[in-house]
Parts: sequence; C-alpha cells; structure tokens
Amino acid sequence: MASQILPLELIDKCIGSKIWVIMKSEREFTGTLLGFDDYVNIVLEDVTEFETTAQGVKKTKLAQTLLNGSNIAMLIPGSDGPESS
Amino acid sequence: MDESPRPPSPSRQSQSPPPPPPQSHTGSPTDFLKGVVGKRVVVRLTSGVDYRGVLSCLDGFMNIALEQTEEHVNGVITNRYGDTFVRGNNVLYISAAEPL
Repeated sequence: MASQILPLELIDKCIGSKIWVIMKSEREFTGTLLGFDDYVNIVLEDVTEFETTAQGVKKTKLAQTLLNGSNIAMLIPGSDGPESS
Repeated sequence: MDESPRPPSPSRQSQSPPPPPPQSHTGSPTDFLKGVVGKRVVVRLTSGVDYRGVLSCLDGFMNIALEQTEEHVNGVITNRYGDTFVRGNNVLYISAAEPL
C-alpha cells in the first residue's frame, strides 16, 4: 500500500530517457524527455515527428520542442517510437 | 557543508544525511520558453500549418506573437507577415529553429 506511484511520477522517472508520444490525431513524436508540467505539456530533444497520412508516414526532425499537452493521448516511456518494434 | 559529490567522510557519519538537491527541472516547459524567446522558432498548428519566425513573446495559454513570420503549408511558403499573433489553442508545438 505504501508504494503507490502516481502516473506523473512515472513520467518524472523518464526524464532524460527516450519517450514515445502519441497524439489524439494521426501524429506521433519520439525524443528525449527533458521535462513536463502539470498540464503534461512536454519538452523533448532530438525529436522525430511521424505524421500518418493517406500518402504514407511523413517524418520531420526537430530540435528542442515544446509539445502542447492538450493534444497528447498517450506516453510510452523508453521507446524509440513506431519504428522500433 | 560542501556540495561536492564525494561520499561523506566517516567523521561526518553522525550527522543526518543532507537532503536531496531540489529537483532542478531545467528542461521544464517554462524554462524552455524562457530560453526560446527572441530566437527563431517553428510553430506548428494542429491543422499542420507551420509558422516560422522570431518568437517575440508568449503567455501561459501558448498564445504567441511572432515577427518576420513565414507561413508554410506542406513545406511551401504561402505567406509572409511582419507580425503575427497565434491563438494558443491552435498550437501543436513550438520548436527551436536555431541553437538555444
């Protein structure tokens, strides 16, 4: 009982490691997690954006990026993203 | 008490261990935004349209004022504006376009 862990504590443990962010739309991001806030706005470094369209997956490389938390659906710690499986 | 990382010497063992350093969230969203004001950024909206320009200021809603703005749609410049205000609810991300 004493070792309850909150969801955001789990994310806090991931700071400095790779994370895979899945948005509410057909868009995903991977990168190194630098930080986040109470709204789960997320700062990533060495980011790749994956945008799934009818034409295929469009990849975009980004430097330090602040992701708006309002569009985030899911976080997968320690993952290199959709191409790592 | 010095703050060097070496382990405590035996003579200090009687003292209670020093408290852990305050969690230095140097990568938090607020810190990122402080560092990026005045720099060139890419602001992508949820619609997929990019606005590239110099970030002049912004607030907690991610409302953004940009200078020397270029509007990019599918990688092609479609418009140029001197000053732009972007309402925060549309912002997908703010990305640094030059080294911080």
